[in-house]
Amino acid sequence: MADDEVDPKEYRWETGYEKTWEAIKEDEAGLVEGLVAEFAQKAARKAAAPRRGPVRLGMMRHLLLAIDCSEAMNCQDIKPTRFLCTLKLLERFIEEFFDQNPLSQLGLVLLKNKRAEKLTDMCGNVRKHIKAVQGLTNMNLTGEPSLQNALEYAGRVLKPLPGHASRELLVLFASLTTCDPGDINTNIQALKTDGIRCSVIGLAAEVRICKKLCQDTGGEYGVILDDVHYRSLLLECTAPPPRARALDAGLIKMGFPHCAPLSAQPDNNADPPITQCMCHLEEGEGVGTEGHLCPQCRTKYCSLPAQCRTCGLTLASAPHLARSYHHLFPVDPYEEVPNEGQAQYCFGCLRLFNDLDKEPPFLCHQPPDPFPHQMCNVIHECPFPFISKHQQMFLRSDFWPGGVVFLHFIRLHRCGRCREHYCWQCAGLVSSTLHVCPGCAARPHLYQRLPDTS
Amino acid sequence: MADDNTPTDCSLLVVVVDTNPNQRYIIEDPKVLTNCLDAVIAFSNSHLMQKAKNQLAVIGCHFHKSEYLYPSPGKPLDVRQIDGQYELFTLVEKTIKMRLVNLIKSQPQEDKPGESLLAGALAMALCYISRVRRQLSPGLTMSSRILIVTGSSDTAAQYINYMNVFFTAQKQQVLIDVCSLDKHLSLLQQGCDITGGLYLKVPSLEGLLQYLLWVFLPEASERSKLVLPGGGRVDYRAACFCHREPLSIGYVCSLCLSVAVVTRSHEESTRDHGYCFVAETSSTVFKIGGPLATKPKKKKMKI
Repeated sequence: MADDEVDPKEYRWETGYEKTWEAIKEDEAGLVEGLVAEFAQKAARKAAAPRRGPVRLGMMRHLLLAIDCSEAMNCQDIKPTRFLCTLKLLERFIEEFFDQNPLSQLGLVLLKNKRAEKLTDMCGNVRKHIKAVQGLTNMNLTGEPSLQNALEYAGRVLKPLPGHASRELLVLFASLTTCDPGDINTNIQALKTDGIRCSVIGLAAEVRICKKLCQDTGGEYGVILDDVHYRSLLLECTAPPPRARALDAGLIKMGFPHCAPLSAQPDNNADPPITQCMCHLEEGEGVGTEGHLCPQCRTKYCSLPAQCRTCGLTLASAPHLARSYHHLFPVDPYEEVPNEGQAQYCFGCLRLFNDLDKEPPFLCHQPPDPFPHQMCNVIHECPFPFISKHQQMFLRSDFWPGGVVFLHFIRLHRCGRCREHYCWQCAGLVSSTLHVCPGCAARPHLYQRLPDTS
Repeated sequence: MADDNTPTDCSLLVVVVDTNPNQRYIIEDPKVLTNCLDAVIAFSNSHLMQKAKNQLAVIGCHFHKSEYLYPSPGKPLDVRQIDGQYELFTLVEKTIKMRLVNLIKSQPQEDKPGESLLAGALAMALCYISRVRRQLSPGLTMSSRILIVTGSSDTAAQYINYMNVFFTAQKQQVLIDVCSLDKHLSLLQQGCDITGGLYLKVPSLEGLLQYLLWVFLPEASERSKLVLPGGGRVDYRAACFCHREPLSIGYVCSLCLSVAVVTRSHEESTRDHGYCFVAETSSTVFKIGGPLATKPKKKKMKI
């Protein structure tokens, strides 16, 4: 296995000698705190993914996840082995997937010994999938995988789905070879016409056929660098993708169980009858009074979302729908502005802006006389009130020969709508989890994020 | 969430006080606001009294904006000991009263008071909590919760903001408690249920401080040992976007997840306008799609 070919674009021996330790510099007090904050800011900025324009997202996803179970998964280049690492990450992935897309369905397939074997059916039950994944730990990994069989299986499962469903296939592919019975290109064409979006995460190196598959069907192809990168690639797949083709938008009939069987009874003080819930029918558990009743056929379920076993109605609650709304109504990203004394503290968390919010320092050689010869530490006592943005650019060029002065500006994040200033941590929180701008949400004319009707 | 019953070293309480003059009890008698505020201050001080390391923030939610009443940004007020009272308590009381006066003075005179934008105040509270968590000295554990004291009603207009806030609180294990002074608040009750907090509609305003002290003062780790109100059934039915009425069986648009009762009028309106009227609410998503003439499938439509 060619482990050193993880990044095929640039070989390790072609790059220069990287002195990673030189990136760490102590400040004048011998601390690295400021640098750590700077790195954290860089990472946060990177995490604020580039915004997609208005695209239609497939909100009701049907994702088929194919896991390579061939000999190549035994390789120990990610610890403990590729397979065990994959299983561990998958547990997290499945939870996150259903957290982000509560109305979606997932199915698992194993690529094992030249065959594609079904592990779980397409369903929306988190526990079932996680249990199945946990049961794989001691599996014997032999033989070669067959990509074509996986594609064929995916086509068979995903094709009959209704038109509004977004159909996706995600393959975790460790092998560099595939053992196929026929011409795989015809399968790729078939998937393309069916509008199935195929993505592949390669665990070894880039493989041409995988890349072609992803390109043709509009999916993403990624090759992992290490386990951390693997995790981030996998978790990227939890966000709903743009739709692979023009899906017809349908209206889906859905039940919202009102969990009060009491209202049906005249005597409110009587305990509701003890009933058996349908999701634990096999295990013989789940007997009790609490539960959600299907509004159509009155069968009981102990957790939502679920699909009614009796009448096939999709059961959900309003928060499940609401969980996906932030994909549809995203917050506008904050713009970064240098602090020129507009704000002393963050609007969100009241933190005073200090010198840890700085931009990367830049050098200026021997400042001219009006500049005091001292470090510019805390910006609200900035000794350079006259530095404008224009001058800042000017300073960056090595204009004055001689001594050296570090200058930096505090970087603020400003909301374009409510014009409030935030620190970078709050900006990160708003864009990654909160999805509400605290300033806008408290303004009567801004709190509704629906665009103007014009 | 409330399921870990190990006591923490300290706890952070963020109180969101609704000061909107639009609330019914303030319209009837404006002096009651002072009583409520006194109750909230006494409650906040009791929270600080429980443990030396406990922390507090109070956010005032007015109709035009929300603002921190305590702590004040920048330098704290200068207080001296009065009548042997602990200085911190005096500081809390003085800061809250002073900043509330400023907040009320800053309200625009020409605008009519609208609804209280509690979701924005909650978002601020979550920012504050995550900041205090970051600054916590290593080794300390802190539990955090938010208490909303409000007499306004909740409207569906803030629904998305509310839901985002609730899910964030759930993720960050922040409890949201709601003390309603006037009406039943079904949306906020959902938030309490999602985050594991308590919901109480106060039967009489006179005893507000007692309700606060008895119900909302105990920390999450102690609550399981007490018999507290709540635990009522929460109505999780989705409200349709067209009439804003809760539904048992509805139709959900597969693109924008809006909920609709499919009736005759819907069928007609989609035919006339050439687009799903459900989609009106999410025209951000539909912008580039152009006219969606053939969109809604007329399957299973009967009522």
